[in-house]
Amino acid sequence: MSMTPILEMEPALRDLFAVRGARRAAPSYSARKTEEISSALRRFFATRMPGATPENVSRMGGGASKEQFVFTLNERSGVANRFVLRMDPLEAITETDRNREFQVLAAVQGVVPAPKPRWMDADGEFFGRPAAIMEFVGGVTKPTGAGVKVSGLGTWLGEPLRSKLRKPFLDNLVALHALDWRSLDLPRFSAPTADPKQAARWSLNYWRQLWREDALEPLPIMTHAEQWLIDNMPDCRELVLTHGDYRTGNYLFDEAAGTIEAMLDWELARIGDFHEDLGWVLMQVFGTFDNGMFRASDLYEREEFIEAYEAVTGRKVHRKTLHYYDVFSSWKCYVIVNGTGMSVARAQHNHQDILLTFLGATGAMFLADICRLLKQGVPA
Amino acid sequence: MNPSIDDRLASIIRSLTDIILPALPREAGLAQEQTHLAIGHLKIIRAQLDLAPAYEIEELVDARALAVALISKGAGGRATTAAMSVLSAALEQDSGDEHPRQTRIRINRATDELIRQLSDDGTPEFRVFAADTIVRLQSERALKDRKWFALMGFDSDIMKNG
Repeated sequence: MSMTPILEMEPALRDLFAVRGARRAAPSYSARKTEEISSALRRFFATRMPGATPENVSRMGGGASKEQFVFTLNERSGVANRFVLRMDPLEAITETDRNREFQVLAAVQGVVPAPKPRWMDADGEFFGRPAAIMEFVGGVTKPTGAGVKVSGLGTWLGEPLRSKLRKPFLDNLVALHALDWRSLDLPRFSAPTADPKQAARWSLNYWRQLWREDALEPLPIMTHAEQWLIDNMPDCRELVLTHGDYRTGNYLFDEAAGTIEAMLDWELARIGDFHEDLGWVLMQVFGTFDNGMFRASDLYEREEFIEAYEAVTGRKVHRKTLHYYDVFSSWKCYVIVNGTGMSVARAQHNHQDILLTFLGATGAMFLADICRLLKQGVPA
Repeated sequence: MNPSIDDRLASIIRSLTDIILPALPREAGLAQEQTHLAIGHLKIIRAQLDLAPAYEIEELVDARALAVALISKGAGGRATTAAMSVLSAALEQDSGDEHPRQTRIRINRATDELIRQLSDDGTPEFRVFAADTIVRLQSERALKDRKWFALMGFDSDIMKNG
């Protein structure tokens, strides 16, 4: 879709659009070979930590967004630790900034369990593409042998994990939303403080511009929903640091202990409305249905989660605002999966094109959800 | 007898499954994952292949139905009226040898433009009608698409209830 670019969004995100046009015209991307990464790591640590030697480099499985490798770093002192290298492919299913991810990971240390970021190659000087290195955290994102689930795209946890993970899942979100973002060192982040609707507008505009650039074909329900989102933007009463992709599947847990070891995938974090995170958590597509009963992230029934969040935070969850972010979440998911994901696959710019086209088949589920929510209407 | 597409796909799936996948080294995790995905994709494509032309025609029929419904009640100012004219022309244009997919995209593009314009100067009645119609018809379309992709295994609602 060629239209005038939408420019009013968080400045750091607007910067991303300035460089992605040139990337789109680039030739196919090839998955990085382990030997290439080993060599780049050696060159990187020769400058960052002379005498340290990276070894046992191996690709991490899963993921549809970034290239990830795990390795051991042997320091001159004899200490050996494992780290994760997380780097951009040429293009990914989400268009994000490794610098922001690095900063937010540093900012939440000691508040929310999250991988500790250690080094950055912001311009891809060593790795060819922007990359960050963080400490390795053990754990799993889904139960072992979780091949069979009752329903939904989301991960089925079941008992006793569900009972063990519920509280930390909520507590970590509450702790994140309780952070005083004004006091944090987040130079790549800006706060939408110009007017009460700027939080919603910045968020929406970022995804609108992605949709404009990446939609492979027009789709009336997406256009209608976009117009609805423009017409119904809520005021933000309180700005918080949001995670942006908070759900089961995006945290590592210790299966035996039932403890959350690290929240992952912080690349969509921003300063915005807490309802935005709640809408994402409560998406039906990411939850499960058990004999007709919906559980968000397989942890909480919808009302139960809202009430628990209100009780712990003392905040009022505004149903009209939440409904807005319910619609927005499904609309945004379609942009991610069927806009950016599919256009990146068509351009052959990712190492997981085949996964991106597979995921594209989920699009109808998000569209069905948009229709369901718009039909349901705005709560009183 | 020429080899059918189905026979060719079946032999590719067998090659990937029985020869290529077992030959991959244990440490080639990404290659193993992607081979499994390739096999899955191909199996689903094989199941969809004969139905694909009818599916794409149905998509076009649904795009036309939405466009026709919107035009039937379209009312508004200059922008809405102009967008309706473009949509009418798109509907009337002779598709010739055009693939149904291209015709659908052309119609949806004009429908999209009408949706944008009616939010500016469509009459209040038309806006309400358009919102209801778009959601109703696209909801029906989404259900068909979910069924079409049921074999992907994401949508257990559809797998269970059809």
